[in-house]
Amino acid sequence: MVASFDPLSPSLASSSSDQTTFKTLTRERQFRHPPTSVSDVPALDELVAPHIESFNALIEDGDSKGLLQLGVEDIGEKVVFDGKPYQGQGEQGGWGTKISYRIDRVALSKPLVPEKDKLAIERRIFPTEARERLTTYRSRLTVNIRWTVTGPDGVSREHEEIKECGLLPVMVRSIRCNLQNLSAQELITHGEESTSFGGYFIVNGNEKIIRYLILPRRHHPLNLYRPSFAKRGVSYTPYGCQIRCVRPDQSACTNTIHYLSNGGATLRFAWRKVEYMIPLMLILKALVNASDKEIFEGLIQGEYDNTFLTDRVELLLRGQKTWGLQTGEQCLDYLGDKFRVVLNCPDDWNNIQVGSFLLSKVVLVHLPNPRDKFRMLIFMLRKLYSLVSGASCADNPDSPQHHEVLLPGFLYGMIVKERFDDCLNAVKAQILLDIRQGKARSFSDPKYFTSVLAKTNWDIGAKLSYFLATGNLVSPTGLDLQQTSGYTIVAEKLNFYRYLSHFRCIHRGAFFAELKTTDVRKLRPESWGFLCPVHTPDGSPCGLLNHLSHTCKLVVSQMDTSHIPTLLSAHGMTQIFASSIDGRRMVCIQLDGRVIGYASPQKSKQLANLLRKLKTEGNAKVPLDVEIGYVPVTKGGQYPGLYLFSSRSRMMRPVTYLENGKLDHLGTFEQVYMDVAITKQEIEKGVTTHLELDPTSMLSVIANLTPFSDFNQSPRNMYQCQMGKQSMGTPSTAMNKRTDNKMYRLQSGQTPVVRPALHNKYGFDNFPNGMNAIVAVISYTGYDMEDAMILNKSAHERGFGYGTVYKADIFDLKDSIGSSRSAKPTLHFGLGRDIKEDHTSLEFISRDGLPRIGTRVKSGDPLAAYIDDTTGKTKFHKYKGDETAFVDEVRLLGSDSGDSELQKIHIKLRIPRSPVIGDKFSSRHGQKGVCSQKFPAIDMPFSESGMQPDVIINPHAFPSRMTIGMFVESLAGKAGALHGICQDATPFKFSDADRPVDYFGEQLRAAGYNYYGNEPMYSGITGEEFHADIYLGLVYYQRLRHMVNDKFQVRTTGPVDPLTRQPVKGRKRAGGIRFGEMERDALIAHGTSFLLQDRLMNCSDYSTAWICRSCGSLTSLGFEQVSGEGMKEYCRICDSHVDQYDKDDKPLKIENGEITQENKIGVRIKDSIRKGKMDVVAVPYVFRYLCAEMACMGIRLNVTVT
Amino acid sequence: MSQQPNRYTQENRNEMPPRDIPKPPESIEYICGDCGAKTAMKNGELIRCRECGHRVMYKPRTTRIVSTEAHLIPVLKYFALNSYIP
Repeated sequence: MVASFDPLSPSLASSSSDQTTFKTLTRERQFRHPPTSVSDVPALDELVAPHIESFNALIEDGDSKGLLQLGVEDIGEKVVFDGKPYQGQGEQGGWGTKISYRIDRVALSKPLVPEKDKLAIERRIFPTEARERLTTYRSRLTVNIRWTVTGPDGVSREHEEIKECGLLPVMVRSIRCNLQNLSAQELITHGEESTSFGGYFIVNGNEKIIRYLILPRRHHPLNLYRPSFAKRGVSYTPYGCQIRCVRPDQSACTNTIHYLSNGGATLRFAWRKVEYMIPLMLILKALVNASDKEIFEGLIQGEYDNTFLTDRVELLLRGQKTWGLQTGEQCLDYLGDKFRVVLNCPDDWNNIQVGSFLLSKVVLVHLPNPRDKFRMLIFMLRKLYSLVSGASCADNPDSPQHHEVLLPGFLYGMIVKERFDDCLNAVKAQILLDIRQGKARSFSDPKYFTSVLAKTNWDIGAKLSYFLATGNLVSPTGLDLQQTSGYTIVAEKLNFYRYLSHFRCIHRGAFFAELKTTDVRKLRPESWGFLCPVHTPDGSPCGLLNHLSHTCKLVVSQMDTSHIPTLLSAHGMTQIFASSIDGRRMVCIQLDGRVIGYASPQKSKQLANLLRKLKTEGNAKVPLDVEIGYVPVTKGGQYPGLYLFSSRSRMMRPVTYLENGKLDHLGTFEQVYMDVAITKQEIEKGVTTHLELDPTSMLSVIANLTPFSDFNQSPRNMYQCQMGKQSMGTPSTAMNKRTDNKMYRLQSGQTPVVRPALHNKYGFDNFPNGMNAIVAVISYTGYDMEDAMILNKSAHERGFGYGTVYKADIFDLKDSIGSSRSAKPTLHFGLGRDIKEDHTSLEFISRDGLPRIGTRVKSGDPLAAYIDDTTGKTKFHKYKGDETAFVDEVRLLGSDSGDSELQKIHIKLRIPRSPVIGDKFSSRHGQKGVCSQKFPAIDMPFSESGMQPDVIINPHAFPSRMTIGMFVESLAGKAGALHGICQDATPFKFSDADRPVDYFGEQLRAAGYNYYGNEPMYSGITGEEFHADIYLGLVYYQRLRHMVNDKFQVRTTGPVDPLTRQPVKGRKRAGGIRFGEMERDALIAHGTSFLLQDRLMNCSDYSTAWICRSCGSLTSLGFEQVSGEGMKEYCRICDSHVDQYDKDDKPLKIENGEITQENKIGVRIKDSIRKGKMDVVAVPYVFRYLCAEMACMGIRLNVTVT
Repeated sequence: MSQQPNRYTQENRNEMPPRDIPKPPESIEYICGDCGAKTAMKNGELIRCRECGHRVMYKPRTTRIVSTEAHLIPVLKYFALNSYIP
């Protein structure tokens, strides 16, 4: 190689500036020299950041400990006693020796080659290997278990042990992935794409994503009106107040306060999927040992003249008296007594300890301090009373205002935590079992506990692999979630649109999919800017499966908000313990579900404005992502207050704060009370608070890529969002490293001439998704009727829409017949000695038993050969598909530590799919159509400049669908192609005053074309000019993956069902399409009886049968030997009534219609006295089958033959 | 499938595989999925790169000319010798 001058070297980037609007040079430079320090498209990394950051938080969470560590600390200590009292102590120390144990530390390594593999030079495992070897990308999880043995004498010894917890699947590009923070250049060297952004797991070679899920907003009490609440028991009403509380380790617990018609209130929670209700007063008293007066004053807050409130509080307090529990200790003792069995606390705890444990584990778990819990419960009760009295309304749980997102990493951490808890409980169960069976050794022996640890199953990695592979949640507690399955999805790399939108999709929950009401699916104004209004599928998941807008961010990290309470106090907030709190004049101020003070509504508003000013100006005390939800006092509206949120999992989006022109982040809660102008013209002085950064920021990435989408009818934009995701495109830029089961690839992809600005921002030029086509809107020849389109044959020959399908054939000898399950493999790849030199399989397979690369295979051709040691014979693995394919790649897959011979191969087959009649295409405006004809170029119409269209579509596709955007694209594309520029198609750029027709019309005029984009055209057949000018322009066309070759179903004859002899069903089995009742009805109605006969009889299960004309039976055929005539048929029913003779020609005696002679064999009938007359008729075979089945049950079926 | 049960019954009827052509175990060079080095492997050998110990190997593209185009071999050779490769 000669060192040559490289005009595209990055060092020359500044000198040779990129003049083109397509940025061709820049792109080419980026392709040849990917960035060595940053990622290729940073904007993409930002889109998937919540996935990765939430996973990172499990291990390292800013300055604090990781969530796994927090979870382990929350589990705490488990205690077991051996129950052997110490001799000296007698009866009192009844519990005996104690072992208390806990998980001390959790550690997760990076994926590495196992220790026993000594040869590997590269010790790290990269995701591409997991993908290629169809394994799981995982790393070692270890815990440090610390246990203390305390004898009855009080002497204790501490031990610790490191326990392996199996191999835990690791998120790609997370902190525990070997690809973390790699630049584009390094990613490519490790077999990734330059734009690989990670955020998924690799399980058995599949890329799996934990989907975002909508959950109720944490730490904010929600007033609910649910008629179903009234069914929960006697005196229950539909009113309730619910709060979802989250522990520091992100596991959640929901508390609901129910309002009872007798004035009482109960608190409901779930413990291990079982629901419990406790009178609220009991909890209030138990929490802080509150006196009746304290509770009364707290609930009334100075509203002594509010008789509604005082009446209810009085009833509440009186209701408590019936329990006879006066002090807090008594309440705790009572709770502890009742919950001792359920909670599984250490045996030596007294009831008060158990009661406190209950309160700390289930009641408002986000607040560690009982006094804070008390205040919050009081607030919730007041809020509930205001709902009952009608002073405020019920909150809408379907509104995004009260939503947050379940982040993948947090869910993963919750599951791991629960598995840890299960393991610790299993250890306890094992010890108790040992004690019961008398097998337990002395507790003081350190080896005993170690042996118990070894006996219990600690393979947490396998459990999590199962979760990721299936999406099923196996959990004893349910994790406070509403569904048990459907948490994970496969990140299909069909094309980049689809792949990317997997990471941005957000599901409402499987529970809501079954709901009959459509309320949850509604598009709500509260979701403006957070969820894309366009990008949702139609059909059953409509409105439940949404996509985040491209600017929407999810808060993942913990913020420091410790200064906010003091800051607010300094600016006039009334402290919580002040005696001057007046419920009528003041509203509550809360920070993350903790009451921090009170203030008058005016003051609260001032405080909210102050906080917003501080946070936008970058004050260190108020982080930017704090949400300041000021709910003003209204009549019968939302319960007022100032609610601050700094917690994770919230949706936030950037907007401009008008007061100081700085960047502000808005959350879903506060946005409801903000006034956000979309454009500058909309700003209303004194009303508008914020301004959108861009009108398009409400759209998702995919919805943004529809050009001129503001000119289309909105359902068309929805259709495009779906069709963009199913078009053949560029699935990956590292195709040779991919092992997907099926991949679609468009060979001749192009960059669109007309594209929105975001196309460049998100690097869509790396993944072309369609082709630019010259489109004529004309009704020509009739082959473009009903959404069909005519393709120019020459365009097709130039490669328009040429695609390829890659299919994987994974062949594992372990799964084939004759393999030994345990010992050394008995099957080996290769050709045995029984295969001669001239064997036909040698065309396809070389001596190693693997297919030759590049071989063309047809259905039934061998793809691999293997020798069975036991028989010594060579067997073949055959190609099963119907289409001709080429062997593209053959991978030899080794084992984890590289210590096994070849047992598994991965064959990538390439099936060329050039466009054929019946393939589906679509423009980017929801205008799909099927190719109806590949028209010869000579017959295509042509314009005055000699242009021929690549595609002809019918004008009737437009009036009803109103996809004006497609006309504009056509116009813009034409102008862009003529001038060699790329056109910006960002929506909302044009207006009535500045029309796109004028803008692009001028460009067309400058190029010497008709202003409106239509041209005179000539018929390709006659050469005559058309009477009308034809709209001719350039539109970007996508080829959709639905191709006739995968769908056609046709048969004349073929396999039949053995039982009914009717044709089988199913395309795969070469079956037919059912000609059903309604089709039959149509034929009857038309009177086409021959057709009816043909379809339902001759082409189905036509058969002939012998029937008896006299008795009408189909099942009574008998044969007998007639001398000279061969076999002769007779009716066994009719002819059994005549006198019967035995073999010696003596008449048989008949009594009560039965033959008395025992041996009936050889009964013969005389020929002369036949009564039955047999005849042949044509009947459907199933009918014969029916007769036989009926006969089995003793039912006679008669057929009248005329 | 049906081969499993009559595996043993067939064994008697089966003549032994012909031994007249003893072939030396052929080795094919495979390409490492990580470093790209070529490793010659015989049947039954462990799957790993001799250079770096990687556990995925690719089969190289066949050098054999597909038999249906065998009549073109002289033509192809002619082109291979005379075509200009920059």
